[in-house]
Order: sequence, then C-alpha cells, then structure tokens
Amino acid sequence: MKRLLRYFRGYGKETFLAPLFKMLEALLELLVPLVVRNIIDVGIAGSDKPYIAKMCGLLALIAFVGFGVSVTAQYFAARAAVGASAALRRDLLAHVLTFSYADDDAFGASTLIARLTGDVDQIQNGINLTLRLLMRSPFAVFGAMIAAFAVDKTTALTFAAVIPALFAVVAAVMAVSVPLYRRVRERMDGSIVAQRSALTGVRVIRAFGQERTEETRFRRANALFTAASIKAGNVSALINPLTCVLVNMAVIVLLHAGAIRVNGGAMTQGEVVAQYNYMTRILVELIKLANLIITITKSIACANRVEKVLDTAPSMDHPEQGAVPDMTAPAVEFDGVGFTYPGAQESSVEGVDLTVRKGERIGVIGATGSGKSTLVNLIPRFFDATRGTVRVFGHDVKEYDEETLNRLIAVTPQKATLFRGTIRENLLWGNENADDETLAAAVAAAQAGDVIAAKAGGLDEPVEENGRNFSGGQRQRLTVARALVKQAPVLILDDAASALDLATEARLRKALAELPERPAVFTVSQRVSSVMGCDRIVVADDGSIAAVGTHDELLETCPVYREICESQGITR
Amino acid sequence: MKQKAPSGTLRRCLREVGNHKILVALSLLFAAAEVFFTLYTPLLFGQAVDRIIGVAKTDVSLVDRPLITAAAMTAACAVAAWLTGSLNNRMACRTVQSLRDGLYAKINTLPLSYLDSHPTGETVSRMSSDIDRFADGLLLGATQLFSGVLTIAGTLVFMLRMNVPITAAVVVLTPVSLFAAKLIAGRTYGFFSDQSNLRADQTALINETAGNLKTLRAFHRQGRYLGKFDALNDTLKKVSLKAVFWSSITNPVTRFVNSLVYAAVALVGAFTAISSGGAFTVGMLTAMLNYADKYTKPFNEISGVAAELQNALACAARVFEMLDAADEAPDGDLTPETVNGNVEISEVCFSYDKSKKLIEDFNLSVKQGQKIAIVGPTGCGKTTFINLLMRFYDTDAGTIAVDGVEIRQMKRRALRSRYGMVLQETWLNPGTIRENIAFGKEDASDEEIVAAAKRAHSWSFIKRLPQGLDTVIGEDGGSLSEGQKQLLCITRVMLCLPPMLILDEATSSIDTRTELRIQKAFDEMMTGRTSFIVAHRLSTILGADRILVMDKGRIIEQGTHEELLAKNGFYTKLFNSQFA
Repeated sequence: MKRLLRYFRGYGKETFLAPLFKMLEALLELLVPLVVRNIIDVGIAGSDKPYIAKMCGLLALIAFVGFGVSVTAQYFAARAAVGASAALRRDLLAHVLTFSYADDDAFGASTLIARLTGDVDQIQNGINLTLRLLMRSPFAVFGAMIAAFAVDKTTALTFAAVIPALFAVVAAVMAVSVPLYRRVRERMDGSIVAQRSALTGVRVIRAFGQERTEETRFRRANALFTAASIKAGNVSALINPLTCVLVNMAVIVLLHAGAIRVNGGAMTQGEVVAQYNYMTRILVELIKLANLIITITKSIACANRVEKVLDTAPSMDHPEQGAVPDMTAPAVEFDGVGFTYPGAQESSVEGVDLTVRKGERIGVIGATGSGKSTLVNLIPRFFDATRGTVRVFGHDVKEYDEETLNRLIAVTPQKATLFRGTIRENLLWGNENADDETLAAAVAAAQAGDVIAAKAGGLDEPVEENGRNFSGGQRQRLTVARALVKQAPVLILDDAASALDLATEARLRKALAELPERPAVFTVSQRVSSVMGCDRIVVADDGSIAAVGTHDELLETCPVYREICESQGITR
Repeated sequence: MKQKAPSGTLRRCLREVGNHKILVALSLLFAAAEVFFTLYTPLLFGQAVDRIIGVAKTDVSLVDRPLITAAAMTAACAVAAWLTGSLNNRMACRTVQSLRDGLYAKINTLPLSYLDSHPTGETVSRMSSDIDRFADGLLLGATQLFSGVLTIAGTLVFMLRMNVPITAAVVVLTPVSLFAAKLIAGRTYGFFSDQSNLRADQTALINETAGNLKTLRAFHRQGRYLGKFDALNDTLKKVSLKAVFWSSITNPVTRFVNSLVYAAVALVGAFTAISSGGAFTVGMLTAMLNYADKYTKPFNEISGVAAELQNALACAARVFEMLDAADEAPDGDLTPETVNGNVEISEVCFSYDKSKKLIEDFNLSVKQGQKIAIVGPTGCGKTTFINLLMRFYDTDAGTIAVDGVEIRQMKRRALRSRYGMVLQETWLNPGTIRENIAFGKEDASDEEIVAAAKRAHSWSFIKRLPQGLDTVIGEDGGSLSEGQKQLLCITRVMLCLPPMLILDEATSSIDTRTELRIQKAFDEMMTGRTSFIVAHRLSTILGADRILVMDKGRIIEQGTHEELLAKNGFYTKLFNSQFA
C-alpha cells in the first residue's frame, strides 16, 4: 500500500481538507443529543414552549451548516480520488511501457488491461469512500465518547469499554475478508479465461465434440468462484450483527447504570437520554461503515493487484547517457552469445559468434523453434543475452540509451500490426519528421504502392484497430515500409514477407538491396528463395548455428541447409 | 448504460431468483424477524427511560425488566440479521452462478452465425461484468429494498401506536428527500454517460497499447502513446470529477432533509409531551426520535441504490437477450453404422447475408479415400465449404450426405467425430500440453500421446519444454510460437485419426523442412481417408485426387492438376500467379 500512498501527494490539500470537513460534520452532529437533552431537561421539564422552539430552530441550523460542510467534504474527496487514480492509471501505463518482452510475456495482455481499467476504477471508488468515511467514523465514534464523558463520566465508561471492541470487530472482519476477496477476483480471472477460450475455440470444441467436457470444466470453475464469493460475503455479513449486539448491550448497561445514578441524584433523565443517543449514533455510524467496508475491502484487493505490476521492476535498464556509436565499427557483432527464456530449461540460442558489417545482407534460415527469431531479437535488446555480448557499432547494446539504440535499428516484427489512425501516421512511426518524399520512397521499396493506390484516402486512409481493415499481405508490406522510413543502419525483417507472393517478394528483395543508406539487413525466413541471394546465410538448427556461408557454399558443406533446399525443390 | 430495460425483465429476474425459493423464503422470514426486533428494542429502551423517574423515586429493578427483554431481542436480532445477510448473499451468488452456467451452455447451442457476428469481448462482457453488476444489484435489492420496505412499514406501525400527529409530520416530510435525490440523479446522468463514453475510448487505447507492447517497443513509441493517453486521461479526470461529485451530494442532501424531519419531530414531540399531561412521555419522545431516524434511512438507501438497480436491470436484460437468442436447428438422431467416408453434396445453396448470394448449385461427389484440394482466391468460399461440411452452418437449400445419410438427420457429434480438423487459426485450451493433445480422446495413454507427437513432429519441442507434457500453456497458447501451436493442433488430430480429414492451410506457419516431414505423416494418415485440403502449397495440390477451383462461391473447374492445366482456364492463371 505504501507505493500507492504517494499518489495522494499532489492532492495534499484535498486529502487533508476532505476528512477535516467530515470531522466538522461529525462534530456538528455530536451537538444534536446535547440539544435534545436540553429540550427534555429544560424545555419539557419547565413546560417552556418558546425555549423548545428555539432549540428546534438550533437543530435546523445545525442541519443546514452540516449540509454545507459535508458538500465541501464530498468535493475535496472526489477531487482527491479522481485525481489520484488518474495519476495512478497514468503511472501504471507508463510503467507497463517500460516492460521488456520478457516482463510482458510474464503478465499477459488481458490481465494488464484488466488492472489498468477495472482495478483502478475500483481503487478510485475506494479512495473516495475512505476519505469520506474511514476518517469520519473514528472521529464520530471517539467524539461521541468524549461528549459522553462530558455528560457523565461514570456511565461514559461503557463507551470506553465498547469502542475498542467495536474496532476490533471491524478490523478482524476486514483482515479475514481482504484475502477472501482477492481470491474471488483471481477466480473471476480464471472464469473469464475459460469463457474467452470457449468463444475463440468454438469450432475446434464442436469439431471434437467436447462441448460437454468444456461445460463441466467451466461449471467447476464457476462453482469455485461462487464458493469463494459466498464465503467472502458471509464473513462480511458478520460486521453488522456483531456491532449491533455490542452497541445494544452497551445501551443496556448504560440505562441500568443511569437508572442507579439518577436515583442517587448524580444524573438527570435528559442526560441518560443523551448518553443513549450518543450510543445509538455510534451504531448508526458503524452500520454505515460496515456497508462500505466491502467496497473498501474490494479496493484493497485491487490495489494489491495493481501494486504487483508496479513492483515488477523492468527486467532491463538503460543508461541515461549512453555510448556514442562508432560508425566505422562492425554494425552487429555476436560474441559467444547464448540465451535462455526465463523459466525454460534448455537454451534457445547457444554459442553464437558472428560479425556483420554495414551494407551486408544476412539471411537467417532454420526450422520452427530453431531460435532464428530469438537471435535477431537480441540485436534491438528485446531480450538481453544471458551469456556473451551483442555489440552494435562497437558497443555492447546494454551501453546505449534507448533512444540511440532505437535510432540505429529498424525492425519489422513477426506479427504485422498496424495501429488506429491513418496510414501516414503509422508510417511516421519510423521517423516523425519524414517528408512525403521519404514516405513515398519507403512505400515504393516495400512494394506497398498498390496498397495505398487501392485506398480512396491514399496515405490518409484510416486504419482501424489492429489494422483489421487491411489484409495480412497488405499489413506486412506496410510494416516493412514503416521500418524503411526510419532509414536506420541496421534493418531486421523477421519473417516479413511470408504473406507475399514470390514475384512481389523478389521485387522487395531487389529494392532492399538498392537502399541508398546501405544498411546491414537481416532477413529471417523459412523460404530459401528469400535468403539465397544474401551475402551470407546463417543456418540455425536447434538453438545453435549449424553453418554460415553463401548459398553455394552451404549447399556443398551444410547437410541441414541442403535438406531445407531439397524440401523446397531447390537444388542449385 | 442507462437505456431502459425491456418490460418483463424485472419479472424474469424475479423468476430466476424464484429458483431458490427456500433461500428466499427463509431470508424473508429472518429479515422480518430482524426488522421486528430492531424496531421493538427502542420501545423497550423508551420504557426503561420512562422508569428513570428521578432522585430516589427510581426502581432500578423495574428499569431492568425491559432491558432484560431487550438483551434477548438483541441476540435474536443479531442471529436473524446474519442469517438474512448470508442467505441473501447465497441467493444472489447461486442465482448468478446458474445464469453463468446457462450462458456458457448457451455458447454450445448457439448457431455459429450468432457467435461469428458478436465480438468475443462483447459476449465475455455479458458473462462477466454484466452478470456481476446484476449480482450486485440483486444483493442490494434483496437487502435494501426488502428490509427497507419492512422497516418503513414497521416503523409506521410503531409510530402510529404512539402518536398520530408526529407520525403524520414524518410521513409528509420524508418524500422531500426522495424528490431532492431524484433531482440530483437527473443532473448526474449526463456526466455519467460522458464518463462512460470517455472511459470506452480510454479502454480502447489501453487495449491497443497493452496488446501491442512489443511493436511499441520496437519503434520506441512509448512516449508518444503516453502523450495520447495523457490527453484522454485529463479529459476523463475532469468529467469523472463532476460525475463523482454530483453523485456524492445525494447523500448530504437527503441527510439534510432527514435532520429537518428530526428537528420537526423534536418540536412537535416536545410540545405534545407538555400538552398531553403525561400521556406522551419523554421515553416515547426518545423512541419517536429514534424511529424518525430509522424511518427515513431506507428512503436514503433506496434512493441511493435506485440508479444501480436500474443499471442492474439493464445488465440483466443483456444477459437474457443472449439466453433468448435462437438455438441451432435441432440435432438429428441417426448415427450411421458404416464409416466409409463417402460424401455426396447436391445442389447446395448457401450465403451468410441472405441478400448476397455466395454458394449456388454446388454439386460434388467424393468417394472414400479421395483427396480433395480446394484452391481459389481469397473469399472464394473455401472456409464456407468447411463450415457446411462440419455443419457449423446449415445449407439454405440442397443436401449433404455422408455415408448415405443426410447430415441434418445425423447426430452432430456423430458427423463431426468423423472429421479430423486442423484450421488455419490455431486454438489451444488453457491447460497442459497433455490435455490439449488428448482433447479429442481423453482416455489416451501417455504412450499413445507421445507416439502421436512423434508422428506429428511436435515431440522434439515438447520434450524440451520445462515440464514436458505437463507444461501449462496459458491463454492463446501462451509463449508457444505460431508454428509450435500449429504442430500441437496437428498432434491433436493425429491422436484421434478419424476417417475423414479437413485441413485448412494447416501448415502455413511451419518451415518447409518440418512441413515436409509432417506431409509424410499426413500422407500416411490420409491413406484410405477422405480428405479435404484448403491449400496454397504446391505439394498439396500435386498430390490431390481432385482439385476444386473455387471463385465467388462456385466450383468453376474441377479435375486433376494435369487436366486443369490442359484446360488453360482460371486454374492455369491461378496456378501461374500463386504457385509457379
């Protein structure tokens, strides 16, 4: 929780004023029993109607002032809650954005989205109620006790006895129910996964006739969720009856003791009524608290989830002031590089040594799972090598600041995604300041000219979420163009042409070879035709490099490569 | 958000709750007991107060008498209150549990046309957040409404028994708070709907960001996206502040009105006490003030939850809407004895959008063991063909018969179990690798599973996973690569070996060397089995007994590769552009 407390810092005034006005409100309410006592002891006892009228006017005045005070308190509470949670949401997103590929994989997108949206909303709700009530309640309760002592010390001792007991009950119920509600939420996550899976897999489930089995599985998950909810609810339902019992018992003791003291002349009837009223006020206050404690409990469970994300330090850090690239050094060097995915037992890449100069075209080929994507992902530091060093232009990639490293390397990731906006906006990702000429050149080289020509809006054609208004091949060419706009000295194409037909891909290869900036190009592919023209071809096999060489050399010397070629009907 | 729920929704909700009659009846009983005890106790306390007469005149044992009764009632009240609370909670939880189970079961009986036309996120949101909100509303409704109404009624009775004019004053004044609350709710509604619109925008942005972190990182666009988010977040903050603030003043307003009621009761009560000459005692005034407080409280609470109840009803309506959607056509009851794999398609017409014709007069006769390759440009109807074969969709006209039985007369399960299907989109269940492979054959032994995995060439990567077959894969296949997922899908079919196969570009994400090995395994698997293969790969086409060339929903050419090339028609063009 400590981490979350700092979000109140910018709202110091509000977090202070909201409870303060709530206390004022409670204080005003404490006056009410005193006024009623006077009505009884002075007004009724003396049959003084004007006095009674005056006192009732006072009650109305207290109500009016109380109204003003509490509206003010609500305003400050709302400001603090909305402000702090907006800041929290922002920081949470900013933090998630610093995550490395490995951190992202560890959490998964759906739970991150849930935490950024639903959980933060629940926290906002919780803060609002906490400021309004959690502060007010102790004050109202203790205030009632102090007032009771002012009325009559002996009978007020019942207050001193019952109040700690009341707080113990509230604290105990909360302590038990917070973990219970956290479990409810976790089981909800599990049930949502099952629902999503049933919907996305509906064809497969029906094809295998597994509807009943899946239904049974879901029923089980749902029953677990329900059981957790019932348990949490039953525990929360204890607060009200328990506080009610404690308070009523206290009232009984109070009236009994009051009777003795009135008989002995130490107290008046009106004073007994006042004490009784204070006690009931405590009850009313606690019932209110109990009704909201569930919301607060749920928020705490959510806060824990959010905190878990915030507490995950990004597994990678970048120096503020990074190294300056030495443009005369080799573009990329692998020096005894190995990589093992977190949690995996076997390494995905092992003992890789490779030096690539600017202007060289490198093909990377290999079977599914042979580690070829992993290898190129180490260059832009999507993952850090677990052994050895990856150098770009003379320096370990870990020595660069993010900005510099990013400028040096352009990537088209395996999954071709575009973002909501226009084609132009998507292309400008490579370089904010690119002019239309640069864009046109990149589009032409990426063979995406016809994609743009086919759209009514041209470069300004809108792109829907995830680029779903474009076909796979269109998206792929646009993501290549996006990378080319960057004009970086290292270009990585990770399976970037898999959806293109052979002729288009050949034109793309030719255009890439003629790029004016002469970058070092890494082409990762399963097709021999995509890499056979490269200056050197790296053959990945089960996490290590089987051989490096030109197409002709490899055909002679590398059996793995030969096998790949044969499978694609290429013999020469 | 706040659209009005269709009439009848409330009745339907009550019917759902009615499935738990015993819980409801017990809850009502205990709630009534709770309310009675709660209301009776102040009366006893009032009596005690009245017996505290003054110095040396008070008989303490007389004071204690109602107090002892009060103690017993308090204990009974607490038990009743907890029982009511936990019964209501159980009732709400059980009601939504069966609704959720019902919705899940509904997914299995809905026609695919429904599921294909409703985004997954929308349906999931019905099953999770809509039902959640309904549960909250149900619980609130059960606890607040019912005990609220009972409290109001009970208090009225108790107050009327003591003093009519004061009761009248309370009854007349209380609706003012309801009116005030309604006034504020009207104002707040606009802010709330602005808020939910902005929130939807923000969620969309968060979705895009969190779903594509890798690409964002690759282009170092984090800062830019944060900027976009900030702008939206700021606007949302402003609107939220208004919504939260305005909705939170309902409570002070109603409380203010209640305090005025309290003052009025004090005034009238005190005057009555003076003028009644002892008939209306101080103790009664105390009890009356207490009742005034109790009487107004449910009004506040009900007005406080009215908006939420409305919302809960709207959510329930969305849930019912899905439950009421038309089911698939009823299942046939035949299970053909023979399992040969002859498929006879005659004069089939089908389209998704009935105004746009797609498949027309489709005829095809497939004999046992034949390999049918389907080729054609995107959108030519290949996937639709599979939808019809598997009876994911029903034909508009014409018949499809498998082994001499029309598939509408066949049990869906019997039909589908004849096909082994590997689709282009890989789908894996969250669970272990073993569970996924044994998806179609739960009782498979480890030896069978490993053998299938070896034949499908997935064993080499499975054995390298941290826990081998017991490795748990998360949502959407977790960290497995696209190719590995596809290998698992193939293994899944390899284990069952049904008499017919449907392969939809099954190997598009697998490298050619592995594909070649799989092809061999497939060839072996396909011997004697009728196979339908949607493919873009040369090797698949060349090995086919017959090639169906589809365009715009029709089979425009069919024959072997050589026959079709000889025709020099659409196929030749297609072949030259795609495969040569």
